[in-house]
Amino acid sequence: MKKFISVLMVVLMACLLFGCGGGNGGSSKNKEIVVWVGEESADFYQEICNKYAEENELPYTITVKGMDTGAVAGTVTNDPSAAADIYTVAHDNIGKLASTQCAKPFTDEALIAQVLADNPASFQNVIYSTLDGKQYLYGVPYISQALFMYYNKEKVSEEQAQTFEGLREAAQAAGTKAITVTGDDGFNMSFALLATNVVDHSTTVKIFEGAEAVSGGSKGTSNCQGDDTVAVVRWLQDYAEDPNGFKWASSDGWDADLRNGGALAVIGGAWHYNTAKAALGESNLGIALIPTFTLTPKACEGLEGVKAGDTFRGGTFADCKVFMINAHSDADKYSALQDIVKYLSSKEVQNESYLNCLNVPAYVGASEYIKSCYDAGKLTESEYNLAAKQVEMAEWGIPQPFLTGSLNTYYYSKNAPAVFRAMIDKTAYPTTGDVLVEETESLEGVRKGLYLMEYLWMHGVNPDSFPEDLPKQA
Amino acid sequence: MEATLKKNRIDLMKPFRKYWEKFYKRFADGSLGTKLSYFIFGAGNLYHKQIIKGLLFLVLQIAIILFMVLCPTINSTPYGYKALLNLPMKNVVEGGAFDPLTGEFSHGSNCKLIILFGFVTIAVIAIYFILWDKNIDSSFKADMDLKVGKKPTTFKEDLAELLDSKFHITMLTPTLIACLVFTVLPTVFMIALAFTTYNDPDMNELGTNLFHWNGIQNFISVFTGEGSLGVEIHNRFLPVLGWTFIWAVFATLTCYFGGIVLALLINKKGLKGKKLFRTIFILTIAIPQFISLLAVRNILGEYGPVNALLQNLGWISQPIGFLGLHPNDSESLAKVMVIIINMWVGIPYTMLMTSGILMNIPADLYEAAKVDGASTFKMFTKITLPYVIFITTPYLISSFIGNLNSFNSVFLLTGGGPTYIGYQAGGTDLLVTWLYKLTIDQGSYNTGAVIGIFTFLITATITLVTYRRSKAYNEEDTFQ
Repeated sequence: MKKFISVLMVVLMACLLFGCGGGNGGSSKNKEIVVWVGEESADFYQEICNKYAEENELPYTITVKGMDTGAVAGTVTNDPSAAADIYTVAHDNIGKLASTQCAKPFTDEALIAQVLADNPASFQNVIYSTLDGKQYLYGVPYISQALFMYYNKEKVSEEQAQTFEGLREAAQAAGTKAITVTGDDGFNMSFALLATNVVDHSTTVKIFEGAEAVSGGSKGTSNCQGDDTVAVVRWLQDYAEDPNGFKWASSDGWDADLRNGGALAVIGGAWHYNTAKAALGESNLGIALIPTFTLTPKACEGLEGVKAGDTFRGGTFADCKVFMINAHSDADKYSALQDIVKYLSSKEVQNESYLNCLNVPAYVGASEYIKSCYDAGKLTESEYNLAAKQVEMAEWGIPQPFLTGSLNTYYYSKNAPAVFRAMIDKTAYPTTGDVLVEETESLEGVRKGLYLMEYLWMHGVNPDSFPEDLPKQA
Repeated sequence: MEATLKKNRIDLMKPFRKYWEKFYKRFADGSLGTKLSYFIFGAGNLYHKQIIKGLLFLVLQIAIILFMVLCPTINSTPYGYKALLNLPMKNVVEGGAFDPLTGEFSHGSNCKLIILFGFVTIAVIAIYFILWDKNIDSSFKADMDLKVGKKPTTFKEDLAELLDSKFHITMLTPTLIACLVFTVLPTVFMIALAFTTYNDPDMNELGTNLFHWNGIQNFISVFTGEGSLGVEIHNRFLPVLGWTFIWAVFATLTCYFGGIVLALLINKKGLKGKKLFRTIFILTIAIPQFISLLAVRNILGEYGPVNALLQNLGWISQPIGFLGLHPNDSESLAKVMVIIINMWVGIPYTMLMTSGILMNIPADLYEAAKVDGASTFKMFTKITLPYVIFITTPYLISSFIGNLNSFNSVFLLTGGGPTYIGYQAGGTDLLVTWLYKLTIDQGSYNTGAVIGIFTFLITATITLVTYRRSKAYNEEDTFQ
């Protein structure tokens, strides 16, 4: 018995050690190319990749895995050696992934030419980063993203959905709140931060304007001090205080708000479509641009650069999802990986991806294709609206700028989103150490909050103190 | 008292003195082979014609010496003596170079490998000295065997012994190796990170994982508030630590006494359906804890049945944020709620254990007490409670320590909320959930390691002090 136990122990130990050692190594991995895409598109891209591998007699098998693309950047940076050969992230992660050496640049000339020919200038400005002092293409766009609005058609008319005031009117009638958001981070709150003047199309907040989207490049300028920015914050403070105005998403999820009638509308993206449809039902699901709002006299009180009656449309970050290549993949696969990305980001595959998974294409002129599909009866009305409204909203938005690994994440991981939420809720927020700004209702309090956000964006830390005279710009 | 003090006094020099005596004795009394084995491994065994054993020792010595001198290199990072020289972060390879023609890419810096290989080399040196000692021991044992007229053991006999009188060594060795490789080495590595600038954003701009030693700066920043996460640590460490203790005390005591009361009720004589009641309460153990907690979270949610009921009754106009999931929700309410909800998952364990203890209390104690005219309450306070507390003290301590490190209840119910603007640590965050956010969300492993070390020191101190002062330890044999 003892001998048996001893042998068993030794075998178990050996298995344990070999098991740990085996891991991701081995020859099978060298014959396999792993691609990470969004969860909703995995089956489609697997089929497409199988077709590609067969047609091109690829010496590799391609395995496509669906991932939460919002979490992919974190997964890759945590352990790049365990990540896929090709992975999908939102473009604003490019700086982080490039500077932490988790991504390898694209060098294939045909692929670079395709990217330059197909994509709008706004995307081309944010897909490069530097390595060894040289500028390289790091991300290849294939899905565009922008926020728009889902609403309950049963309770909100098409006309009411055009303005925040109309939504409030519908909410009053229904005895509920008008609108909510899917999160309180910078991206989801861009409807307020990037509110756009309908006359001159200028955004209230200027974020990293003139920045060079390269590692170590210029940070450009950010400006949160405009009177229009202050007025929009004060307008949203009032709208949030209104019993029929804005609400933060429920702790049960924003879809619970829609389902239970806690809010009549939500600002979201194409990736929220299935959840919104499940909450409201296809027949009740309305899709519209983010509405406009008109500044009230109260919001403009004491401000010179704006006047009551000025109208703004809720803004959005207009982003793209990109394919990136893992720096830890075998150098032998490098050429094949670039070829696969070139194929997967081609107009044809983007179109197929839209028809199959509602991934809105990133290339210039995609709206014509979308319209033609609708006319040909390939899309339902809401599927068409989803793409059409997103493309239209993208014209009101800007891509999230990024520079190095951390500049953009300052906005997400540091105080800025929390400070903005505190301002909207009119609650106190700390600035430096234990100093609290308590008078968030006042003009001074709003200016201080905006100054704090701007400083955080530019420096990543709280300011030591507030200037005697807070900068005021029209 | 004096006896206890004497018992607890530790003579730190004793092991060294004992080893010196052994070292001297073996050299002085040993044969030539034993003397030689001080320099050449296995020489003593070879001298005693224990060929296989001697050669094994010799091969191991040569292998370790070659390992130390030749310095095998992996990813531009050497083992051996060079690893020791590199340990102060010398010869760091920053990485990041890319060849566009071949697609070859040199990865991030080798700082982590330098630390890891340095510690592995130190472990190898430690193994060398252990083998050195064992090889002398082995030769000296053969000397002693010869002295008493016995033949030195053969290799076959040594192997047979491993399955007989030394079977414990055979059984423990794989576990010990696994423990060293999978527990001790990673722990030492993580402790080492606490003394580095790992995840310093300024250095990471240059290339991933590039860092250097910075002494006890991370520990100092807890008190001064300097460094990349200094303000967070400085401002939130004490509040989080304080709440962690409050939580641990309440979570332990509520579950402990709740469990005892429940066990007393269930074990009450004359109660029908005892097994049924016991089964019902044990069901909470059978259901995975996270499912129970998430279900409760939904029940107490904004659109959950509790808020719906209160609103329908007209008692409240707006939903109550029971669990602090929104920044404006009440922190105190969230804290009370997690303690109450934790009773739901914690009480059945104590109930189960106490039930067993209650059934084992000698009935004659109660009979004697009854004869003496003791009331039921008196019997509870003088017999039942002391008996249960005596037996469950170690459980109580481990339960308290477990609650200090309790992750599920807080993380799944409140997520640490309500959030504090500008900080990772929210109102109900415990040290362990904060640690999770700092490491997994922020990647600040060095700061996490600092907090981990503080947590360990606190829990270890409490465990040692309370356990050594408990009756269960000092009067181990009295309650039989």
